[in-house]
Amino acid sequence: MKHLSLTVATIGLMAVAALAAPAFAADFFSPLPGAVPAPGDNPVVETGKYKKDCPYTIGMSHFGVNANTWTIQVAHEAQAAADRESCITKFILLDANFDQKKQVADIEDLIAQKVDAIIVQPVTSTSADAAIEKAAAAGIPVVLHTGLVETDAFTTEIRAGGVYFGKVMGDWLVKTVGDNGKIWVLRGLAGHPEDTGRYNGLLESLKGTNVKIVAEDHGDWQYDKGKKVCETLYLNDPNVDGIWSSGADMTRACVDVFKQFGANIPPISGEGNNGYFGQWIKDGFQSISPEYSPAQGAAGVRLAVALLKGEAGISKHYDYNPPGLDLEKAKALYRDDLSANVWWPTDLPEEKLKELYGNK
Amino acid sequence: MPGSKAKPMKTRLSNLLTGNQSRQGLWFLPMLIAAAIAFFLSIRTTQFLAPENLFNLVAQAMPLVITAIGQMFVVVVGGLDLSVGSVISFTTAVLALGAPDYITIPAVFALAALVGMTNGFVVTRLNVHPIIATLAMQYILLGITRLMRPVSGGTVPDIVIRSVSGSIFGIPMPVLWGIIVILLAWKLLHGSRFGLHLFAIGGGIAAGTEDAARNFGVSDKRKIMLAYVACSCFAALAGVFLAGRIVSGDPNVGLLFELDAITAVAIGGTQLSGGVGSLHGTVIGALVLALLSNGMNLTNVSPFIQTAIKGSILLLVVGLQSRKKMGL
Repeated sequence: MKHLSLTVATIGLMAVAALAAPAFAADFFSPLPGAVPAPGDNPVVETGKYKKDCPYTIGMSHFGVNANTWTIQVAHEAQAAADRESCITKFILLDANFDQKKQVADIEDLIAQKVDAIIVQPVTSTSADAAIEKAAAAGIPVVLHTGLVETDAFTTEIRAGGVYFGKVMGDWLVKTVGDNGKIWVLRGLAGHPEDTGRYNGLLESLKGTNVKIVAEDHGDWQYDKGKKVCETLYLNDPNVDGIWSSGADMTRACVDVFKQFGANIPPISGEGNNGYFGQWIKDGFQSISPEYSPAQGAAGVRLAVALLKGEAGISKHYDYNPPGLDLEKAKALYRDDLSANVWWPTDLPEEKLKELYGNK
Repeated sequence: MPGSKAKPMKTRLSNLLTGNQSRQGLWFLPMLIAAAIAFFLSIRTTQFLAPENLFNLVAQAMPLVITAIGQMFVVVVGGLDLSVGSVISFTTAVLALGAPDYITIPAVFALAALVGMTNGFVVTRLNVHPIIATLAMQYILLGITRLMRPVSGGTVPDIVIRSVSGSIFGIPMPVLWGIIVILLAWKLLHGSRFGLHLFAIGGGIAAGTEDAARNFGVSDKRKIMLAYVACSCFAALAGVFLAGRIVSGDPNVGLLFELDAITAVAIGGTQLSGGVGSLHGTVIGALVLALLSNGMNLTNVSPFIQTAIKGSILLLVVGLQSRKKMGL
């Protein structure tokens, strides 16, 4: 009888929990799988003041469309999300080309065009502050993603990458090479805040360990520059226990260098690109790929529309810090019918994926 | 005789359009092109002529106008300065150090003058080609700036921020900057012996008679060195303006600015071989670039083809001027 009561109570609790779970899930607006409201001081946005009827004109200040395949995909993801949303009749995508002064000008031009909402991918943490404050003063909601700013004048943001990204790779590398390992560090673009953030994440991982950085250089996140750096490091001293690569196309380049010299590929960190996943699956070396989805471009559009529709449960700060992707997850995402240039996970519809990245 | 009057008029118009027999270079054609772009934008978009947009346009164009004016000083004497972008980044980094403004503001101009003197010394005394000398300076300054400020940030003096935003007596601050800078440059280039000497030295270099100016008592090496000093100081001024705009110091803010400045000077009709050019031409050249950028934003041109369109229009504008005339 006691057992029966306990069983009934347990089932009852599970049922309540099961019913409560969707209710909790509906409590907050989720712009992207894996993005959750940040803990701590995180107010819910008063969307009532932005609410307006369709149609909407949305402006986006992209930090640099043509920098690499990832930045191009962010633009495609945003455009595709805008195309899918019937309320958006005009989507203005402006390219700052990693130029701070151009981004300030772009945001000013969007304000002058009286757009309904502005999405900003900040070039640096400070350069867009004044322009964002101008937009806020003009009553235009501002959505931020793929970068941080110092001003608090934005409406909502998705915080991702940077220190967390570098630490996911750093923690894995420390665990893989052991406490006394010797590592190389391949950094991204000098002076870029994302490079500094990722590097600081690595330094956090190295604290309290004896892992030693024996060589460090900037490959600018590019295949050709990364390859040159890796070749130089290999010819200088090929004895290395692991490589912390800041991602993008540098990892693929460095793996190719070790293959070119017929050497074993040391543990190396990578980033979620179809070409890299293909190489990883084929060669089977040890790696990890932190998740930094270009679908943040689509998430920004969704957030902007939700603000204008006055939807409830939108937080000021979202954290998008999913665990890194391992080989099994990479296998699940990899598509051999698509080119090396696709980044995972994506929000692009199948027909768009094939149109933009189809191999045939 | 009507015919005798018509011919000089036709010749004058032809000279205006081709820049022939003019010490001011080919500035009229770029002005027509700038006017055509402005006319197109005013009928194509409702926002172009809005006061807010025109104010934005002036503020966006100002750093390039200032840098291009500075660049013109060295182009007139047959030189080039590739270090101006680094001077701009360096200036923003120094200003954002957080030191008192009465120290940082004079310091950036003193340091810029030192950079200009070094460039001028290497070019005139060590006979190093201006491209190599100033490229080396570009790298040196970039390295120092990145050491000082690896990423953007810092605290820019309040007076600098206030000097580029808001207005005085209804005149927007960037417009005021433009008026002051243009008046200063006009005085230096077209209203002083110094400017006259620069054109004389440049004309001599372009004609292959480097000694001509010296024969008339003009110390060309000292004047050329001063031209580089002026160029660096104008770049520092542009850096001050930009620091106020982006409210931070940034090691990369001036990257590739030198190319835009040289392009603006070339579009404005200044001969890169020296001796021929005008301040108004340079300002028009910078405005053409700013109009293109603003116009493509307003007309929602896809970022995937903006660069190609910009390149094509530049090719058109510069292509209308003969290579020989431009000194290329």
